[in-house]
Amino acid sequence: MRPHKLMAVMLSLALFGAAACGDDDDTESGGAPEDTGSEGGGAAGEAVTIEGGDDMNAILLPKCTGIAVFDQANEGAQEAAEELGTSEPEFLGPSTCEDPTGQIETMTNAATQGVDAVMISNNAGEQIQSGVDAATDADVAVVSWDSPIPSGEGESLFVAQVDFDETGVVMADMALEILGEDGGQFAILSASPDAANQNAWIAALEEALQDPQYANLELVDTVYGNDDSDESYNQALGLIDSHPDLELIMAPTTVGIAAAGKAMTDEGLCDRVKVSGLGLPDEMRGYTQSGCAPQFALWSFVDLGYLTYYATYGIATGQIEAAEEQTFTAGRMGEYTIEADPTRDDGLRIVMGPFTVYTEENIDE
Amino acid sequence: MPEWARVRSWELLLAVILVGTIAYNATQSPVYLDVDNFVNIFRLSIEKVIVAVAMTFVIVNGEIDLSVASVMAFAACVLAAAHESGVPFGLAIVIALAAAASAGFVQGLVVAKTGISSLVVTLAGLIGFRGAARILLEDRSIGDFPDWFGNLGRDDFLGPLPFALVLFLVLLVVGGVVLHRSAFGRRVYVIGNNADVARYSGIDVARVKLFLFTTSGLVAGVAGVLFAARLGSVRANIGEGFELDIITMVLLGGVSIFGGSGTLLGVALAVCIVLNLRNGLGLANVEANTQTGVIGALLIVSVLAQNLLDRLPLRRREVEAET
Repeated sequence: MRPHKLMAVMLSLALFGAAACGDDDDTESGGAPEDTGSEGGGAAGEAVTIEGGDDMNAILLPKCTGIAVFDQANEGAQEAAEELGTSEPEFLGPSTCEDPTGQIETMTNAATQGVDAVMISNNAGEQIQSGVDAATDADVAVVSWDSPIPSGEGESLFVAQVDFDETGVVMADMALEILGEDGGQFAILSASPDAANQNAWIAALEEALQDPQYANLELVDTVYGNDDSDESYNQALGLIDSHPDLELIMAPTTVGIAAAGKAMTDEGLCDRVKVSGLGLPDEMRGYTQSGCAPQFALWSFVDLGYLTYYATYGIATGQIEAAEEQTFTAGRMGEYTIEADPTRDDGLRIVMGPFTVYTEENIDE
Repeated sequence: MPEWARVRSWELLLAVILVGTIAYNATQSPVYLDVDNFVNIFRLSIEKVIVAVAMTFVIVNGEIDLSVASVMAFAACVLAAAHESGVPFGLAIVIALAAAASAGFVQGLVVAKTGISSLVVTLAGLIGFRGAARILLEDRSIGDFPDWFGNLGRDDFLGPLPFALVLFLVLLVVGGVVLHRSAFGRRVYVIGNNADVARYSGIDVARVKLFLFTTSGLVAGVAGVLFAARLGSVRANIGEGFELDIITMVLLGGVSIFGGSGTLLGVALAVCIVLNLRNGLGLANVEANTQTGVIGALLIVSVLAQNLLDRLPLRRREVEAET
């Protein structure tokens, strides 16, 4: 982000007290049909600018390793650590997304090690709780990103990539665009059944579908590919077999959408069944250009990792408090205000935003 | 070299490896030697090591049980499904354990009565009981267990020890006495060495096998229920691939895959080595994939070493015979 633009963005944020802001390289591309950053609640109090000085030993715990978006989040976190002059965060996680016990193990080990903070994209649902409890007992700050701790217990803050309710609307809009006014049948290909973020998005999509404008969209099935390419590929083909009238597969996961795109392309089904959801432009370019995945959405995972590191550093060093209405400035990302998380009974969040919807027009940018 | 000396030397080697692992870990992380960490080492893998005790009996007996992880998941899913449909929780646990024992019983019956290799029978079990678990819960994740049950999985039970760890120690002692000090234990070894000889000497081979497989199923069921308590919720895919970790620990313990030899002491040492190694690597922030690689390498090296120990004295004897 260029300096003058950064200043302009920060100024406007300060004026309107908005909680959302984005990196222009990824998100303010000219042809983006929608740019739906969400508004955070809470009035902007006195903003604390998070500054380096103290050291922080932290672990960045993804759902599993070997997935492009988590590597990008790691990139962002490393960038933030360098800016703040602290130790590089350790990027540690289970080797497969199927087995949640690996995350519990890493979390428990972190408590034993007495690191300062763990930043987790939770893939273990409620099961992570024993690990989180061990961490908080050992005074380890736990910040979630991408996917929260469902109970909110022991977690200081959830760095939400986008507003979860909005994810449902964005997916419903994309389905409507692809299927047209006449609508048709579509199915969801998700990650794991314990992934709190995907579950919240699916619930938000179902909620959004209640609106009369989506009346012709019929959600016929939800299946799980556990963020494994092979399994997602087979699940996509399984959907075709079990629903002969299916016209769209909606995958709210980057692994799932790419696998579905490949499955439809391999089987020559792209004319009949389209693919959409949340995907990485680099992985989806071919499918978008071939018309197999006419549109899909995502946010910047680099920014998410960067923002998460800043927020975690602020909390672990005591510069900010994990409390409602706490406002802070996180490096190049600008200003954020902590608010109650409306998608959970308990818990605090900041919302990064915004979405970029990728189509043939802007996929190359 | 007589059999007992070979076994002893193997365990001595394991003990040396274990001491080496602990010493190395202690230099790598200042928190490694904390009591809490030692408890965590076991707490995080307790389900596997409990099943390893029963697996030792099965492998010494000359058989194998590949279905244990699936039976674990099956029992946990039966528990969750029963709980969800309103069955009182105590009763749900009994039903889950009975289901797991029946799973072992059926497989044992097929192995004992038809003579089909247990490798094939329990491979079918591995697939079948995982399938049954998936049919029960589909893609759902079921939790909301009573508080006391969650506490059972998380809280300390005896001093700093959680319930599952106490249970493991009890099983280890009872298993050790049965395997090494009882008539039943001797029968297990005899059958493992040569089932035909055992049969001719009047041992009811089928009955012993049936008992061992049923026990293996029941113990896997107990492990599945404890896993549910520790995790707080259950899915059909829990514990996938655990059977290989469990068999790794037993083989590393010096139990011959062909049956007839090995001790529970060796298995206990191997369990400690694998868990300490994992924990040490974890505390040193080594990636999960590398951890798996290190443990795989340890298994290969140890099996090679075992082979060498077997052959060296033989060669010497051959040389002596020639001269």
